[in-house]
Amino acid sequence: MSKVLFVEPEKCTGCRSCELICSFTHAGEFNPLKSRISIVAFEKTGFSFPAVCQQCSVAACMEVCPVKAISVDPETGAKIVNHNICLRCKMCTIACPFGATFYDADQDVIMKCDLCGGDPECVKYCPTAAISYREAKIANFSKRRETAEKFREVMEEGR
Amino acid sequence: MKIKLNGKEREAMPGESILELCKRENVPIPTFCYHQAFGGQGACRMCMVEVREEGQKEARLAAACTYLLNREAEVITESDRIQRIRRTIVMLLKRRAAGDPILKELADAYAAPDLEAVVTEPENCILCGLCIHACEEMGKSAIWSMFRGIDKRIATPYDEASDDCIGCAACARICPTHAISMEEKDSKRIIWNKSFELVACRRCGKEYATREEIEYLKERSDYGQENLCESCRKKTLAITVKNYI
Repeated sequence: MSKVLFVEPEKCTGCRSCELICSFTHAGEFNPLKSRISIVAFEKTGFSFPAVCQQCSVAACMEVCPVKAISVDPETGAKIVNHNICLRCKMCTIACPFGATFYDADQDVIMKCDLCGGDPECVKYCPTAAISYREAKIANFSKRRETAEKFREVMEEGR
Repeated sequence: MKIKLNGKEREAMPGESILELCKRENVPIPTFCYHQAFGGQGACRMCMVEVREEGQKEARLAAACTYLLNREAEVITESDRIQRIRRTIVMLLKRRAAGDPILKELADAYAAPDLEAVVTEPENCILCGLCIHACEEMGKSAIWSMFRGIDKRIATPYDEASDDCIGCAACARICPTHAISMEEKDSKRIIWNKSFELVACRRCGKEYATREEIEYLKERSDYGQENLCESCRKKTLAITVKNYI
């Protein structure tokens, strides 16, 4: 079974090292706006959440793409954007329920996590191991599934 | 299938275009109207190369993007003959898109003579057709080429605001000469003579899409109906997790 980016927000200190290394790896600059992962920080309660593409098995971005520019990397299971095919219609950015696909006007590209081809840089630079890259075992996921169910309820309230 | 590409033997797949082969082999060929999503159109003629198929005496000029390889052949991508034809093409394209920096650069590179500029509508349009294809792929076909001959131009029917256009601006982003204008101000996006209402995120108020884009997604999928911008969707997930762990 393929590995997944596993996020444990209780370990996250909100240092944003992941944002910096991600933008540096993908865009060649230290710029959180060009990072595929971003920290949602709640200053008052000191809670930080690393928000990143979930590489959904049924992926909204893939489903809505009119030219099938997003495909599954057979090795990592990551959903990869082929920038040569992408029309930049930005439908994936509107469709993604997690806001993990977005458009960078500066470079005129759709940005999303590609798991760095199976060796995610954010995992290496996270000082507290709040992001790990591990086997997708059922045991790791029971909590996640419950959270996902809650998330679905919250999102549907806004419709 | 063996192809002699600039003197070197290369393997091509039957039915592959010369341009695809060159891209795979990292042989640079200038293009305007080629996009991988649609394949070759043979519209801009920038990608002219010399081809000599087995049994043919002389090499002939062909557009690399539409020439499909089905027999062993010899392909040359740089020669005096190609330089001359590309110079002419750049000269003619630059006439239509004098304001485009890429064409200026190419005109310098090929030493193309200056012709009196023609003001096209939209400005700097070289009629490559990529915008039409992009709109077609979106399933909308709101724009098309209107009129024929020297009057030919890209437009919506009768230059009116099209009911089909959703304001996604894929046409503007795909345009190699940045000829299609898109403006956003006062909660409106204006493109192709149509003014679109921008939808504000229900949490932070950031305008993130047109009403028509969201409707478009609604017709085709179950996504994008939350009226939240990307950041607020992230935030919603974070809050859910925060409340739950």
